Amino acid sequence: MSGPQGGAPTAAALADFLREVRAGIEAGLDPVAAARGAIPRLPARLRNAVEALARRWRGEYREDKWGFDEDFAEAAFPLFEFLYEVWWRVDAVGVRNVPAHGRALLVANHAGSIFPFDASMMTMALMKEHPLPRWPRFMVLDWAFSLPFVSTFMRRVGGVPAAPQNALALLAEDELVMVFPEGVKGTRKPFSERYRLQRFGRGGFVEVALRTGAPIVPVAVVGSEEIYPKVGELDVAARLTGAPFVPVTPTFPWLGALGLIPLPSKWRIEFCEPIDLSEHGPEAAHDRGLVFDISERVRETIQERLYANLVARGAPFV
Amino acid sequence: MARRVVIVGVATHWGAELARRLERDPQVEYVAGIDDREPAADLERTEFLHADIRNPVLARLLPATEPDTVVHCGILWYPAPGKPARALHEINVIGTLQLLAACERTPPLERIVVRGSAAIYGCEPAAPLFHTEELAGRAPLRTRFQRDVAELEGYFEDFARRRPQVRCTMLRFQPEIGPDLDAPLTRYLRLPVVPTQLGFDPRLQLLHAEDATGALLAALRADVRGPVNVAPSGALSLSRILRSAGRLSLPVPHPLFEPALGRLGVELGAGPLVADAVRLLRYGRGISNRRLVEEVGYRPRFDAEAAVADFFEKADSRRVSPDLGGLFRRLAGVVR
Repeated sequence: MSGPQGGAPTAAALADFLREVRAGIEAGLDPVAAARGAIPRLPARLRNAVEALARRWRGEYREDKWGFDEDFAEAAFPLFEFLYEVWWRVDAVGVRNVPAHGRALLVANHAGSIFPFDASMMTMALMKEHPLPRWPRFMVLDWAFSLPFVSTFMRRVGGVPAAPQNALALLAEDELVMVFPEGVKGTRKPFSERYRLQRFGRGGFVEVALRTGAPIVPVAVVGSEEIYPKVGELDVAARLTGAPFVPVTPTFPWLGALGLIPLPSKWRIEFCEPIDLSEHGPEAAHDRGLVFDISERVRETIQERLYANLVARGAPFV
Repeated sequence: MARRVVIVGVATHWGAELARRLERDPQVEYVAGIDDREPAADLERTEFLHADIRNPVLARLLPATEPDTVVHCGILWYPAPGKPARALHEINVIGTLQLLAACERTPPLERIVVRGSAAIYGCEPAAPLFHTEELAGRAPLRTRFQRDVAELEGYFEDFARRRPQVRCTMLRFQPEIGPDLDAPLTRYLRLPVVPTQLGFDPRLQLLHAEDATGALLAALRADVRGPVNVAPSGALSLSRILRSAGRLSLPVPHPLFEPALGRLGVELGAGPLVADAVRLLRYGRGISNRRLVEEVGYRPRFDAEAAVADFFEKADSRRVSPDLGGLFRRLAGVVR
């Protein structure tokens, strides 16, 4: 049974639906049961949407033990697709370097002072351009998980707190994991230092890769470092909110919520050749020297590819 | 092995449940239970010894029973109705100390199992999503109960180090649910409208009551030392628990959650939640049960999802569902 289409018929169908609900209530049903009984009266598209919502309402959706909720991630997909296709016009290079099966650790530069979008755009590149797409997981700054709404959102789209135990366990289950070893130092760098990689922590990501035998895929993200040009910081606001820092950009906080709109820079993401570490074995994770060597090698690769892709991209905003 | 068993805290739900299981085991010659009140359950051959765990008389009573195994079920997670929360420290920490002192004087002792709590890991927003046993002590100690658990685990570890001939096991339980269980968290989940913290959706591992007893019994017989996490496999978010159970949730801004729940809880007979539960229902907590499965050899029968489903199925069959139609009509009457 296909419902009526178009504006006026939709309104008529809606009125029909409400009449049916009222009849149901008057016949002694409770409102929920009455509404459920009247669902066939709705036009087809609306009916599907209502049924999807009802399934969610009844808890009939999947969620893995990490809290990743695929239905939710798919619902958020169109918004990020808009950002990917229209707003930032992302070019993705070398997506086939990301293994189609099994574990892998994606290591990228980190930027975007107010809200880093690099993880979401890397996810979009993999989901849209990889021949065998799968949802990657990503490590999120700890502070985000103490915030209402943000914590829930991050977890449902595949974020986990940036603890090495989480990365180890996810890789042991053959997931794709994205890490940003620059951490807050990356998102915090001022506009004048864009694309200059910061220190890669203590090389914890290399230890994780060595212990799980996961290959490291270096990723260079160009474009993310122009979306919120940071020119200063608000120390008092940071202390009051407990945030690691509160950035000042040409538009934030001057324009209020409008200042949160990222600038439409042109993006280019390169996934480099995977670095296989399986020859070293898990015990090598204790070898400080080796860990720093590999960490430095990954960092140099990303830095070099950043410069190459900056040239390939050309002008930042057109 | 485990022929003569003494259960400390036999009047608690878990102590009584364990005594009942042990009574049915022909290999167990003798079961005794120590507590300061008689167990409500009917126990057949368990000898009940009336003593307060905080009292030094324990040091004379315990050796006289000549146990080879002592199970400590007397660690309380929340105060008895109408009792102040401060009393918990006395019972949990001083009580455990007295018990360990008594154990020192009990030469035939081979085994001690303590029913502890996963609260030692705390509820931190940025914690590992599945804690392993060696991660205890990394989280800041934020609540009274968490401090108490950390302290008594310290005493227990000391004892285990000094008396290597006694195999000591600390079980760290996630909160249990069961249709017969009367605990603040099960009462909370049974509320017709469940307050939640706006914007937060904690991941929870609620342990089925049957698995809680099963794990305790398995640990008694296993040759394992040190801490062991007891939790179902997997984890479930609170929002999904409530939705799949058909419960209405009422999101409350998180600073108002505790007072709101205090008010509503008293109104609906659920009682207030302790600080630990408030943090648990904000940030959640996950622990890894790998050691329980692989080393103790106990695989929980219910995973996180099945435990919750079973709880609501049995709890709902005993409950009159809220009359939504009636509620709606009443509201409509008010508006008119």
